[in-house]
Amino acid sequence: MHEAVSQGHDPMNSAGAERYPFGAVSLGFLAVTALSGVALAPLYRPEAALESVEAIQGGLAWAWMLRGVHAYSAVGFLLATGVHLVDVVWKGGQLRMPAAVWWRSILLLPLALAGMLTGFLLRGDAEASAALQVARGVMGTIPFLGSEIATFLMGPAGAGLGPVAVHHAGTFTLLPWLLAIEHGRRAWPDRRSWVIALLASVAVAGVVPVSLGQVEGTGAGLLGPWYLLGLQGLLLDLPVPAAWLIPAMALAGLGLLAHAQGRTRKALLGGLLLAVLAWAAWTVRLLAAEA
Amino acid sequence: MTRQFRLPIVLVTAACFGLAVAWFREDLREAGTGEGPDRAGGHTERCLTCHIRPDESPGGAHRAEAVGCEPCHLGNPLAFDRQRAHAGMERDPGALDTVQRTCGRAGCHPREAARVATSLMATGRGLIAVDRWVFGETIAPDGQDTFADLLASRTPSPADDHLRRLCAGCHLRTRGNNRDDDVSGIGSGCGACHSTRKEPLSIRPHPPVEARVPDQQCRGCHGRSGRISLSYQGLAEIRESQAPPEGTLRLPDGRPVVQLKPDVHGEKKMACIDCHLHSDLMGDGVSYPHQEQQVTITCETCHGPVDEAGEMPFASFPDPISRDMLRLRGLARLPLDPARGGRTRILAWNLQPTGLLPPAERLRPEATGMTAPWTLTGKLDGRPHPVRQTPVDANHRLSGHQRLSCQACHSAWAPRCTTCHTRYDATGRQWDFGTGKVEEGRWIEEAQTYEFGEPTLAIRDQRVVPAIPGMIVTGDATAAGGGRFSRRLYAALDPHTTRKESRTCASCHLSSQALGLGAGILNLASDEPVFVPDHPGPDDPATASDGWVGLFPTEAAPGTRLNLRSLDATEQLRVLRVGPCLGCHPKSIDPIYLDFQGSVVKLGSPGTRCPFTPPPWVKNIFQTP
Repeated sequence: MHEAVSQGHDPMNSAGAERYPFGAVSLGFLAVTALSGVALAPLYRPEAALESVEAIQGGLAWAWMLRGVHAYSAVGFLLATGVHLVDVVWKGGQLRMPAAVWWRSILLLPLALAGMLTGFLLRGDAEASAALQVARGVMGTIPFLGSEIATFLMGPAGAGLGPVAVHHAGTFTLLPWLLAIEHGRRAWPDRRSWVIALLASVAVAGVVPVSLGQVEGTGAGLLGPWYLLGLQGLLLDLPVPAAWLIPAMALAGLGLLAHAQGRTRKALLGGLLLAVLAWAAWTVRLLAAEA
Repeated sequence: MTRQFRLPIVLVTAACFGLAVAWFREDLREAGTGEGPDRAGGHTERCLTCHIRPDESPGGAHRAEAVGCEPCHLGNPLAFDRQRAHAGMERDPGALDTVQRTCGRAGCHPREAARVATSLMATGRGLIAVDRWVFGETIAPDGQDTFADLLASRTPSPADDHLRRLCAGCHLRTRGNNRDDDVSGIGSGCGACHSTRKEPLSIRPHPPVEARVPDQQCRGCHGRSGRISLSYQGLAEIRESQAPPEGTLRLPDGRPVVQLKPDVHGEKKMACIDCHLHSDLMGDGVSYPHQEQQVTITCETCHGPVDEAGEMPFASFPDPISRDMLRLRGLARLPLDPARGGRTRILAWNLQPTGLLPPAERLRPEATGMTAPWTLTGKLDGRPHPVRQTPVDANHRLSGHQRLSCQACHSAWAPRCTTCHTRYDATGRQWDFGTGKVEEGRWIEEAQTYEFGEPTLAIRDQRVVPAIPGMIVTGDATAAGGGRFSRRLYAALDPHTTRKESRTCASCHLSSQALGLGAGILNLASDEPVFVPDHPGPDDPATASDGWVGLFPTEAAPGTRLNLRSLDATEQLRVLRVGPCLGCHPKSIDPIYLDFQGSVVKLGSPGTRCPFTPPPWVKNIFQTP
């Protein structure tokens, strides 16, 4: 038990890395994402978002590849984090770490999503503009502080993408990294993890370049980012507050796993599985409707 | 190979493959970037990096270097590669289904685009309503439905199908590639008027886009039906069988025409838009049921006499569009400068008092040698046209003629098609402008001859106006699910054959055509006026097959509007009673016309100097005026 708790507290030591390989790789992806983002930042102009992304995509040598590495490493971070979470829950790791650490650790998932969503919004194309409006609308339905949170994260309506860019590069990069440091007990990934993350990102970015949508007003059937299509589909059937209420409940359920045993734990896991299936179903339904 | 090394090798290989593909893509990216300028009119416009040929620009105010491509053609002006740049592109700017994002976008012409959508050129309300009425599908020639409804209908009625096959090609909601004959090759929506034809033999030409719409744009649509744009040039369409052996003139679409007297305004090289105001053409935001309600310009606007609302200080005209046009052309007007406008207070901005013009532009018409009080400036060529005012003389103050419109006398001729037959061939195939493809069934319009002559007189809203056979038609829509119908309807029309010289007195007072009787012999010398038609109608031998109404009918014949009718018996009689006098008193300045009724009474009294012995019916009429 002592050994297990020790590994749970220090998962990034060699034994922890062996036990939870995806946790180490997710930090590797985070590092690649952050560094490629730093390289892209001078090329991006929030006041002319789409134009600058178009220039990155088509006007500068190899910049599209850099953007691809940035985007795919972020996807890798999200996927690795998700798989790591399932791995931990599957192996009961949440029971072997302090509850407070667990609760903070599961915040990595929404923070990764927020970082990716803000990155999506920074494209400034038709889909991003629509997603910005949806995000603002959803946040506005959070009681008491909804509109304030929306203004804090996205600035006032019509303010452009400056605030989003700040939160993308700052808030949603630093916070995950800080939580990862607390969670993994190290600030930098091991060499194996970041090399894997870099090579995987390069391989995918070269073969499947990151797409970019059209300017506003030129297309119909706008879709949000792939990882939030379930949320977009959910909005077709349920009232808007469900778009934050259901994820919040799922997150709370995930947190409560550290405290639940027996039937309660099974019920929580069943609920979470149901939420994931519903998410997938709404995604499929939305894509079918668009097709 | 141990498991320890397997993953790194796979990853390195994948990364190398990714880099190789990326290298290839990078070469493509570099090669696909154009070399022209990437800005136009103060915004990024990368279309111009590739589209650098001079003939790819429309020139003028819409030239590519000033506007770029995306404001009209949509697409993505920020993109570097062709595929992305052309995604979502509108190849036919001005088409009404996308006009709000092209011509009508904020900062360009939103006001005009909104108006065009409600104008008759877009809605075609009158055309639809009258056609349905003629087919017997409705009880009145008025309706709310527009071409948008008609073309979207999945189960069109026979009348709707007729319009979709034969008429909808001129409608502004049909796209340029969904047209036929003379209307093809021009743009859609706004572009139908403002985008002129492409120059032939150019590789990738961009047609000019102009506010100054040349007459050829109007001719495509208005060279049909009433054919006013042909008549304006003095061209009358004929059938091939009517063509003289030595040959005939032909329109660009091949139709044979003969040359007659053109409209005096056409003779002076005036363009259609010199007279027609923006609201006549693009509408004023109101969806009118019929054309005569949308057209606001009148002869009196220029030639007078105008009423109080027709001539006002410039500042009193609530017409921002005309003000903008003056501003864009650098023309200044002072608020209190006299100005004239159409019926709905739309400014005739190219008409101004001659005294306000520079001395060099104050032309004197040769006929009078005096400076005309008003001058109209040609919108296409800037040429000044002195505008004489309607004289207050015997011709224009003739007793009994107060109700006559200018066109009733000054229209020299008009097309008169009286042998139209429409039938539906269920076994044929024909283009359907609603579906945009060839569909089963075919409407066939046949006519033995196309004729022309002096127009008939009709009554519209208590005014005497020219009219032509609008619907002398027999139709058979049984194969299309409708019925057989036969209509004898005349339509009011401004023929656009205006001449300074008016038609003669005899052409009305001794003419069976003017009275709506049709072609035939009008015998006024017998005991009673007798009309013998050249071609007796099938139902009534006393009525001509090309006539609108019989002689002295019990009630006037209806026209293609509820407010339009033929002359009734009393009006026919009042017209005819002058006829016997015209042999000796052919001019309007003759003293007998100062008080015609008094002259009539004198004629019947002893001691008259007139040797004329009128037939009994004239005496009877004179005794019971």
